[in-house]
Amino acid sequence: MRTEILASGFGGQGVVRLGQILGEAAVKQGYRVTMLKSHGTEMRGGYVRSQVVISDEPIDSPIVENADLFIALSLAAYNAFKHLVDSGVILYDPAFVVEIDETLRCTQIAVPAKDLAVENLGKAVFANTVMLGVTARMVEVLDRDVVLQSIMHVIPKYQEENKRAFETGYSFIDGN
Amino acid sequence: MKRYLETGNFAITEGAILAGCRFFAGYPITPATELAESMSYRLPQVDGIYIQGEDECAALHLCIGAALGGYKAMTATSGPGYILYADPYGWAIGCEIPLVILNSGRVGPVSGITGAPGQGEFYLTRYPTQGGNFETIVLAPNSAQEAMAITVEAFYLAERFRTPVTILADQLITDGFEDISVPENEEEMKEMGFRTWPRKINKGPEFYPPTDEIDIPPVVLGHNTGALCSDWTPTEEGYDIEEVAAHHKHAYRLIYKIRNNRNLFSNLYEKTFLDDDPDLIVVSYGTPSRVVNTAVKKARERGLKVGALRLINLWPFPDEHFQKSTRYLSVELNWDGQLVREVQRAVPKDAEVHFLGSCGDLPTVQDLIETFEKLLKGQSLSRRGWELEGW
Amino acid sequence: MDYLAKKYTRPRKIPSTACSGCGLGINHKAVLQAIYELGLEVEDIVWGTSIGCAGRQTFGTWKGDGFAGTHGRVYAIARGLRLALPSEKKIILTVGDGDAFGIGLLHLIHAARSNADLTVIVNDNLGYMSTGGQYGWTTPLGSKTDSSPYGMYEQNLMSDDIDVLSMLKHAGATFIARHVSMDGQRAVESIKKGIRNRGFSLIHMVYPCPTNFGSRELGTRNTIKLYEWIESRAAPLGEEDENTVWATGVYHDASNSRPEFSENIHKNVERIRRGAAL
Repeated sequence: MRTEILASGFGGQGVVRLGQILGEAAVKQGYRVTMLKSHGTEMRGGYVRSQVVISDEPIDSPIVENADLFIALSLAAYNAFKHLVDSGVILYDPAFVVEIDETLRCTQIAVPAKDLAVENLGKAVFANTVMLGVTARMVEVLDRDVVLQSIMHVIPKYQEENKRAFETGYSFIDGN
Repeated sequence: MKRYLETGNFAITEGAILAGCRFFAGYPITPATELAESMSYRLPQVDGIYIQGEDECAALHLCIGAALGGYKAMTATSGPGYILYADPYGWAIGCEIPLVILNSGRVGPVSGITGAPGQGEFYLTRYPTQGGNFETIVLAPNSAQEAMAITVEAFYLAERFRTPVTILADQLITDGFEDISVPENEEEMKEMGFRTWPRKINKGPEFYPPTDEIDIPPVVLGHNTGALCSDWTPTEEGYDIEEVAAHHKHAYRLIYKIRNNRNLFSNLYEKTFLDDDPDLIVVSYGTPSRVVNTAVKKARERGLKVGALRLINLWPFPDEHFQKSTRYLSVELNWDGQLVREVQRAVPKDAEVHFLGSCGDLPTVQDLIETFEKLLKGQSLSRRGWELEGW
Repeated sequence: MDYLAKKYTRPRKIPSTACSGCGLGINHKAVLQAIYELGLEVEDIVWGTSIGCAGRQTFGTWKGDGFAGTHGRVYAIARGLRLALPSEKKIILTVGDGDAFGIGLLHLIHAARSNADLTVIVNDNLGYMSTGGQYGWTTPLGSKTDSSPYGMYEQNLMSDDIDVLSMLKHAGATFIARHVSMDGQRAVESIKKGIRNRGFSLIHMVYPCPTNFGSRELGTRNTIKLYEWIESRAAPLGEEDENTVWATGVYHDASNSRPEFSENIHKNVERIRRGAAL
């Protein structure tokens, strides 16, 4: 079993923290995990990247080459990494990824995380937690409660709001 | 055992503390800064000292001073700082001071790219200072967990061989997050294969005997043993002397204490699918070796007879792994080819040696498998570097 | 020097291999005399030295523990050692002008900045004399050396109203003095104050080099002429005249006025270890 998750957006969106929360949850569940954060070179290119690999065996390559899930939080990131998703799923926020590539074979799901965060919590900063909720629902190996625990651990502030944001995301797929 | 999702820098910090390190002198440089930060946080909690040098040269000299006073000491940097160690590194080799130095490689020359991993210091770690007449110990982990183990081992070897040991890592190992298990007591340390060696004090008066023996305690000042250490060729008592015969004894000790006792760490390598005489042996170290391992496993599934040799002990170079006359491919994070030269030297005359270098980014599994296929078909890899990048 | 030599030095290294007429031995003796007058024993002191005449000639002379650093770096080594040694152990460094004021100036300034308890004796032979005689950072303007055959004209650390000692004072040194070899007991008293200061002390001590400096600048290796040349350019602070190059005496005495480097670090480590929060 090897699950590859790629998250990418621009600086300040919390892409690294997102990867950290997912990785930490997987560690708590007893999996082997690697999580590479973005390189400076990429920051100049307009995107930040987290590459999370989760496995029940020791992980050799920590590089995401065939993502099971790609969380695209900017158009630049979407265009840079969309080719890494073959049979997996792309989650994108249409507030940032304004144009998608219809020729891709993979499943692409629009998650208006920013709008949902503003609507339900009054602040766009909770968009990431919304996205984490969706991710927890989508990625089979991740346990919902453990992901939530990791969010509470990594982001000690605004616990109530983050819980609600997470629930919003978690129920998003089923509601659509 | 406690499990974390943490960086290699965290793992190295905990490894150093487990090994008894209580002194770290740092100087900010990407990507070693976070190790300095993590040491500055952790060391005072365990009665250790973190201090910042005015430059890397000073940082290693501060470590030397602390080690001379009995501390197990460490510093860390990246390539542009590592070259500033040339001065103190030579002194520590010559005066036989146990120290641990971490070099987290990035893309060079000079400042190059701060945020991309590189392997440009393979030879520099062998010759970190001038003058020759010495041997160095260099170890290269390929994961955060292994970086912890290698840090513990580096301190162990530094004490027994009384010499600086370089840990050669790269940005992905030190900055990347991984699940990390940290032992919480001595029993768990033993379970994980960690071994430690206490600082001992040379009582003199023969501080530099002409022998290849290890386990001679290093010079420690402040115990009124009459210990002497300097940058000059020493007599056995540590006096400076301008005599070639004395230098012969000195150089013999510096070289052969390490060469003749390599068995203490020559087990530091990893072999994957090497038992059935593969048609291609892929040689690498550090982070690229992880992609190589994935690629080799996938290639095997496709029926390609490929094996992987990962070096952890880089120097003294382990020639013993290169006895077979077959095809070798060196995979490195540089375009000039460094490890490959040493492989060329070590293999039998009729072996074939190839090179695949990448600059700033890791090779992909797909790249590697395509390369294996080409080589196994007898095709050559000769192409100009820039074509790789599709400019 | 007999009783001092017997008590504190190693017969293998004393008498030294210095050139005939070299003034370094006088400076060295002044340091030993100061140690003696302070009642310190061999085990009370770890002795460090640098590269060049002053470093090499004094390395290994001290009966107790000793070390010699690479060129200019002994201040950084000594600061690391300072953190490891108990506070009652004294560290004395005998170094040269090229080492301290040239290649090692950055490290020296940081040793002063941190007020590390070190007593640095800068033995100044007015240039790089062990390499045959090139000008340094305190060589008087106009002096002829092998690298200033037309007379030294580059600005240095003792020209144009610049004084390396005031630089060190502002960097945080807590005791600074300047002497010439001929100052005798006055120099000994300054060195004693320097050793007593629990902090960074530096004593700048000019000494004559007949072999290289004398032969190039004065055209003679005549020791007496060179000694007179230096003496005529030295005067106690407050008694300077237009010929004075080296005003001698205590420049700055703020002994024990601010926290010492290692004491400060150990105190803070202890505070954190006891559970100080971030």
